[in-house]
Amino acid sequence: MEGKKRKSRLIGQIKNKFSKNIYYRFTAFGVLLSLIPLLSTVGIMKVSTVSLFAYIIIFTIVAMGLNILIGYSGLISLGTAGFVGFGAYGVVYFYGHGIPYEFAALITLLIAALIGIFIGLFSLKVDGVYLAIATLAVGEIFSQVFKKVTWFTNAYGGVHFKFPKLFGVLQLQKSTMFIFLVVMMVLFMFIMYNIVHSRTGRALMAMSRSDSSAQAMGVSVPRYRLIAFIIATLFATTGGILYASFFRYVQPLDWNLMLTLLVLAMVVVGGVKSIIGTFLGVFVIYGVPTLWLEDLFAGTEGIAYIFSGVLIIIVVMFYPNGAVNVFQDFKKLYKKYKNGELKIKVKKGQKANE
Amino acid sequence: MKVFITLLFRSLETGSVYALAALGVVLIYRTSRAFNFAQGAIGTLNAFVAATLLMSWGWSIWVTVPIAMVTAILTGFVIDAFFIRPAARVGHEGKQIITLGLIIVILGITPILFGVEPIPMPRFIEFSTLTQVEFMGASIGYNALFTIAISIALMASAFWFLKFTSWGLAIRATASNEMASKLMGVPTKNVTMMSWATAAAFGTLAAIIVAPQSAVDINMMNDVQMSAFFACVLGGFQSFYGPVIGAYLIALSRNLTNFYITSTWSTVIVYVVILIFLFFKPVGLVGKKTIKKV
Repeated sequence: MEGKKRKSRLIGQIKNKFSKNIYYRFTAFGVLLSLIPLLSTVGIMKVSTVSLFAYIIIFTIVAMGLNILIGYSGLISLGTAGFVGFGAYGVVYFYGHGIPYEFAALITLLIAALIGIFIGLFSLKVDGVYLAIATLAVGEIFSQVFKKVTWFTNAYGGVHFKFPKLFGVLQLQKSTMFIFLVVMMVLFMFIMYNIVHSRTGRALMAMSRSDSSAQAMGVSVPRYRLIAFIIATLFATTGGILYASFFRYVQPLDWNLMLTLLVLAMVVVGGVKSIIGTFLGVFVIYGVPTLWLEDLFAGTEGIAYIFSGVLIIIVVMFYPNGAVNVFQDFKKLYKKYKNGELKIKVKKGQKANE
Repeated sequence: MKVFITLLFRSLETGSVYALAALGVVLIYRTSRAFNFAQGAIGTLNAFVAATLLMSWGWSIWVTVPIAMVTAILTGFVIDAFFIRPAARVGHEGKQIITLGLIIVILGITPILFGVEPIPMPRFIEFSTLTQVEFMGASIGYNALFTIAISIALMASAFWFLKFTSWGLAIRATASNEMASKLMGVPTKNVTMMSWATAAAFGTLAAIIVAPQSAVDINMMNDVQMSAFFACVLGGFQSFYGPVIGAYLIALSRNLTNFYITSTWSTVIVYVVILIFLFFKPVGLVGKKTIKKV
């Protein structure tokens, strides 16, 4: 009896920690994800699944930056793909000139931040839809540069890279690189959580509701707009750096409007303002079509692609606040099921709604 | 002078394409409050309809183009009825993501229906020594004149419709304030449906005009779509005629930089100029600054 009690108390404590401390949750999530290379070596998962999850992790970081921008500051950027591409090309270029990996990444981030400041300054004058299309122009300029500046991008030939050596000692392989990606994602989840729950996050939140009221409450709108754009560009550029490091090949045609729109879709589908929702959004858009739909419609080519579009539309229509609310719906259903009042309650609820 | 006249007419031709697409974008933006990213995809789908009827079935271009316009209008109706109207409680960003989903669906269905091969598309009037006119030393094809004329006529009738008919008034009322006009008895649902149909038809015509320059394929409208968005910011989203002016300006400035400065960087130069212009005039050429309420 005693032992059982103590055990249940221990479980209760752990449960408490997980439900209250978000850091434990993210870390546990990261540990789970880093098991994927192991599973593929054992043979439970396909080898290609590792690359798929690497892609998902990279774009979770990118989409989190856009999520802060859209969810907390109410601004919108359509230049994301350009920054991801810039991060990828930048790290390859500086590494190729004999700069160590970490510094190459830092220089790339610094340049991207400068461009972010430029867009932020631009956003002080231009607003709303005009700003969105202006960032689209920035993204297009990037994409033209990728296609035409041969010394930087090798044009259509693309550039090759290799797995980096961290701090000059730790040579990464495919599986260790994957774990590095997971560590970076968890780190960026912490960063996003801290930004959102800091003074900056509250200021951005106030701005997203109304610029004028935020200003009246003493929030410096220009300053926080700059901060929001810098955060978004840094997240996107980091994603690009990691992309180059994992996939080791960058080519100019990937960084187009479609990618930008897909990142935007990840944010909206997953859930604006939600960290785990962002991962979920990326998973719905990249993971579900590749993992299940392609097997389901293996006979006819192209059907899986159509269904990924249908999936986006359905999720947006039925969960306008993000797919992350699916969990809450399940929880509610489970509670009702547990109380044995599933059928009656649902009907009553519908009537009340009508 | 000869070169300039040639460039001018070429700009008028591409400008008409951009203008048609931009008018569709702004029409939907004003009535549904969302960017229609699928404008190009809808045009592509219906251009495929026209090209298939024309090349595989051997019908005349004067029959196929009106048929493609009708299918475009139907596409617009379907999109509004099944995707946009049920998404009433979805926010603006959500609606834009739905149009993104539509791009994926449409561009996924097109190769299944029409095959993956690009289909060559003839001009309305084939270019030859007989079908061109000399104008100040430059030779201009009848086809260019015809497409410019038909686009301008179409847009002019659209403006006439917006200005002088009760339906046009309903569209303008919905564009200015959907909630209020709904309360005043404007059938906003039908207005939205009509603007989707019109935008689809304009997009299709743009696709058909631009098709002979290369061929009908999946990516043919990317450039037009992008230019249409820039035309909208250049002209301003507040009016319907601003984007049309913006479209012609973009086409002209791109052709001029292309010829007189550099062909590699003409697109980038035009975009940078648009950005600088926006910095000094943040609501476009004919836009008005809307006063924000606190």
